[in-house]
Amino acid sequence: MNAVEVRDLTWRYEHTTRPALEGVNLDIVEREFVLVVGPNEAGKTTLVAAIKGIIPHSMSGILKGEVRVFGERVEDMKAPPLARQIGMVFADPESQFTALTVEEEIVFGLENIGWPPAGIERQVRWAAEVTDVADLLDKPPYDISGGQKQRVAIASVIAMEPRILILDEPTSMIDPLGKDQVRDICAELKREREMTIIVVEHNIEAFAPLADKVVVVNDGHVERVGPPAELFAEIEYLAARDLAPPQVTTLFERLRRPGRYVGELPLTDEAGIAAGRRLLEAAR
Amino acid sequence: MPQAEIAKKTLLGVVPVSSPFYAFHPVTRLTMLVFLSVAPLFIDVPEINLVLIGVMFGLLRWGRVRLMDLRKYTPLVVTVALFMFTIAFVSPGDTERLSRFELAGLTFYFEPMWWAFVSYVRLMAMLLGAILYFSTNRERDVLVALRSLRVPYPVSYTVGLSLRSAGMFMQDFATIREAEQARALDLESMSLRDKLKLYTMYTVPLFAVALRRADEISTALFARGYTLSGRPGTGGKRTDYIRDRFVMRPADWLVSLALIALFVAIAIIGRTTGLFAVEASPLRAIVAAALGVA
Repeated sequence: MNAVEVRDLTWRYEHTTRPALEGVNLDIVEREFVLVVGPNEAGKTTLVAAIKGIIPHSMSGILKGEVRVFGERVEDMKAPPLARQIGMVFADPESQFTALTVEEEIVFGLENIGWPPAGIERQVRWAAEVTDVADLLDKPPYDISGGQKQRVAIASVIAMEPRILILDEPTSMIDPLGKDQVRDICAELKREREMTIIVVEHNIEAFAPLADKVVVVNDGHVERVGPPAELFAEIEYLAARDLAPPQVTTLFERLRRPGRYVGELPLTDEAGIAAGRRLLEAAR
Repeated sequence: MPQAEIAKKTLLGVVPVSSPFYAFHPVTRLTMLVFLSVAPLFIDVPEINLVLIGVMFGLLRWGRVRLMDLRKYTPLVVTVALFMFTIAFVSPGDTERLSRFELAGLTFYFEPMWWAFVSYVRLMAMLLGAILYFSTNRERDVLVALRSLRVPYPVSYTVGLSLRSAGMFMQDFATIREAEQARALDLESMSLRDKLKLYTMYTVPLFAVALRRADEISTALFARGYTLSGRPGTGGKRTDYIRDRFVMRPADWLVSLALIALFVAIAIIGRTTGLFAVEASPLRAIVAAALGVA
C-alpha cells in the first residue's frame, strides 16, 4: 500500500516568482525508508512540508496538484488527524519546542491527539527510552545540548506513533556523536516499529545503509528515484548536484569501472570490508 | 565526586530540587502568591508589612530557597528605594501644610517621606511574595494551577508560550550581547548615552528573531496536532496529562480556604475600618517624635 502519493504537485511560495516545487510525482510505499537528497534550495524541505500538510495549511502560496497520505487528501485533513498519521522532526529542534520541560514536550502532541493518560505515560517512557532522554524529562528543553535537543524533538514526535515519520535534516545542527545516535534511533524505529520513514539529509553516509529508496530533488523537481546502490554508483551525476555518496561506495565504484570489482556496491563500512576481503581472496 | 544537584534552573530563576512547598497543589501555591502579593495593598501600616516580609523570609528558608540567590534582586531593591525617596524629597507637594525637619543639613518633609516609606515597604512585601512564588514554583506549576482553575486552554497555553518566549528573548539578548563582546565591544568604557543607543539597536535583531520564532512555533504547533479549540478531532476532549497528575488534598483545601478567608478579612477590615490606615502605625508616632515633628 502507498503511504504517500504526490501527484503533479506544484507549489509557489507567496511573494516569489518561481515555484519551489514543480510537477512533482512521487510514491512512497508503506514501511519504506526513504532518503531525500539534493543540493541546497532544491525543494527538499518544501516537499516534506507538503507531505506533512504544513503546505498549504500553515504557509501561504499557490498550490496545484495533491498529496495523499494513506489515500486521504492532506489538504482536507485537520491538524490532529494529520499528526496521528505523520510526525515531523524539524532541522532546528529548538524551533519546535513549545513546552517548558522535556516531559511536557513529549506529552504535548499526545495530549493534542487525545491519548488517554495511562497510554501517555507508557508512550513517554517508551519514547524517552528509545531516544535516551529519560534522564532529561525534568529539564527545560532549551537548556540541554544540541544532540539532546534533537533526541527530545524525535522523542516528542515518535511518542505519538505516527505511521509516517519525517526527519528534515536531523543531523545538521549536532556533533558527530549526536549524528550517530540519531541514525541509530532511525535504525531501531525501522527495525522495531515498521514506520514509514522519510529522511531529508545532506549526510548521505549515515543514512544510506538504512534507505530502501533514494529520492533526488533538484531545482524543484524529483529528478531520480531508485535504490541507493544504483543511485550512488552515479558519482558524476551526484557530484554535479553537490552530493557525495558514502566513501566506501565511491571506492568500490572506482574499482568496478576498470573491472576490478564485480557485484553490488557496498553502502556501509562493514559491507565494504567484506567485499574487500572477497577481492583479496579472489586475487590470491 | 559529583555534587548532588540542589537547585534547578527555570526560565525565571532557580528553584530548589526538593522543597516542602512541592507537597502542595499548584493551585494552593498560586493562592499563596495572590495572598502575599495583593494583601499588602490593603495595609498601610508598615509594621504589618514588615512582619509579612519577615514571614516570607521564613517561608523562603522553610522552602529551602538559597537566600544567597536573592542577592540578584539587590539592584532592584536599591533602585526602587532611591527612586521613591528621591521623588518624596524633590517633590514633596504643598509644603505649607507639611511637617518640616532637618537632617544632615537638608530639609525634609515628614508626610511625603513617611508615605514613601509606607509605599516602599508595601512594594517590597509584594515583590517578595512574587519572588517566593517563582523561587518555589516552576513555570509548569503556573500552568497546572491555571488549568486546574479551569482557565480556558488557549489562555493557559498562551501564558505558557509567553513564559517560554520571555526566556527565549532573554537568551537571544544574551547571545547578541556575547557576539558583540566577542567582536571587541567594550561595554565598560561606554558612556550611559552610548549604552542606551546600543540597547536600542538590539531591538532590531531581537524583534527579527522573535518574529521568526513565532512563525516556527506556529508551524510546530500545527505539526503536533494543536488546535485552538483544544479538541483532538475524535469527538472527545484534549487530555491534560500533566494537570491530572496533581490532586487537591485536604491540606490544600484547608490552606487555600484559610488564605482566601484571611485575604477577604484583610480587604474588608482595610476598607471599612482604620485599623490598617497609615495613622494607625505606632512606628509613625515614634519616628515623628524622634524627628520632632507633630
